[in-house]
Amino acid sequence: MNSEAGGGSEEDRPRDDEILAFHHAIRAADAEKLEFVGDKEPLSVLAMEYEAGNPVFRAKVENLSQTYSAIRRARGDGNCFFRSFMFSYLEHILETKDEAEVRRVEKNIEQSKKALIDLGYQEFTFEDFLSIFVEQLESVLPGRETSVDIDLLVEKCRDRYISDYVVMFFRFVTSAEIRRRAEFFEPFILGLSNMSVQQFCKASVEPMGEESDHVHITALSDALGVPIRVVYLDRSVGADGKNTDVNHHDFVPTEGSNVDIPPVVLLYRPGHYDILYTRTDEDLSHVGRHDKVTGRQLVKEDGNAAAQNVEELNYVQAEAT
Amino acid sequence: MSHNGGGMDAIAAQQATNNTSAIGAHVPNAKASRAVSQPVDSHSVSRRLQSELMSLMTRGDPGISAFPDGDNILTWVGTINGSKGTVYEGMSYKLMLKFPTDYPFKPPQVKFETACFHPNVDQYGNICLDILQDKWSSAYDVRTILLSIQSLLGEPNNESPMNSYAAALWSNQEEFRKANCKRYRETGGVITVPK
Repeated sequence: MNSEAGGGSEEDRPRDDEILAFHHAIRAADAEKLEFVGDKEPLSVLAMEYEAGNPVFRAKVENLSQTYSAIRRARGDGNCFFRSFMFSYLEHILETKDEAEVRRVEKNIEQSKKALIDLGYQEFTFEDFLSIFVEQLESVLPGRETSVDIDLLVEKCRDRYISDYVVMFFRFVTSAEIRRRAEFFEPFILGLSNMSVQQFCKASVEPMGEESDHVHITALSDALGVPIRVVYLDRSVGADGKNTDVNHHDFVPTEGSNVDIPPVVLLYRPGHYDILYTRTDEDLSHVGRHDKVTGRQLVKEDGNAAAQNVEELNYVQAEAT
Repeated sequence: MSHNGGGMDAIAAQQATNNTSAIGAHVPNAKASRAVSQPVDSHSVSRRLQSELMSLMTRGDPGISAFPDGDNILTWVGTINGSKGTVYEGMSYKLMLKFPTDYPFKPPQVKFETACFHPNVDQYGNICLDILQDKWSSAYDVRTILLSIQSLLGEPNNESPMNSYAAALWSNQEEFRKANCKRYRETGGVITVPK
């Protein structure tokens, strides 16, 4: 029975938990470089990033700046799509104060909850995640004791507890939607992997840190009824070999409102998602909107708001120059 | 033994890191001087584990059970009976489950306490199962973990064995059963359904 311990090579090889610990260490080191969601930065930071890079990228970034004005980066920890969606959607509601939208999405959440239970998920496995997301939804509506401003929303989305809980909730919702409509998603999943729909959900949707692609985006967008635009920044050029227009794809839910520009706009670079801000939205209503926000904050929180006001003004100027 | 000790140190170190980061994340931000979230309430882990215990007991799945070990809700002792028609039929295995404080974001550490002769279990009882490592998600619970280990017993992954002797022997089920019974008895196990 001595051989049971295995050969020397097995003893020398790092064990799975050691490899995993190493993997965690790498991601933890990466995490220190960037918050879950970063600060809003003018799009010119992208141009700087590619200054010495591929000419196709440079041309595309230039084109991108025609339509989009700013970027907010998400941490590259495999959850960037969900974290970007979380912030972008909550920020959209914070700005629009659209209570009807919150009520609508809450109905969809109820549907997802029902789907999860029908699929055999124990309610205790997802109920905490669900309630944390609903809390965040309520908090971006004005006039409540728990109402947040943009600063506090940023802080909340950088909080590990809140951010991870919401990401995990989105993973449950995405998984339930894919499994509920397995026939629809099956061909796409087969195109990505050799897995069955259920295996795919268990291996590539539900575990934290598993990256998202069009299957996840379609499912989350459909389940919550929220349109999502993904702008693709890659090396591809048009059929003529010269066209450097930036492609985008709008994920429009099977049911839901038709909008010109989806409330959530994400920038995709191979393997990573960040948040984009559209220029029309920014520029046309910029001054007016900021005045309003500032007014509200001054009443509510005095000193802090003034500091933010200055920051925002600087930002607007920086962007204009 | 040193190998085992090293593993435990690594686990302890990892848990220590987890604790630090969990606390770090909830120190109120000095700049904002506003607490963003209520601290992770340690009750949420124990509440979740209480729910899992309820679910486990009310469902009464055959061949699996688990219960907290004494007063500490973060340590459980589980039992898995080998499924009918497998080389583990008639054998009962004790396992130890240790839950981290950030459970269910991180999986519990699960180890066989009873020696288990299996391609994916090493001599210290460590289990190689993806859902306990990189494929873990909060959707799993004690019940689904135990059911997964129970099915792993009858369906090993022989591609990447932790016990290469057991993996090599697997194709000869009769020999495997013999070696398995021998090992089981050596460590004091009593086979309930000798056949």
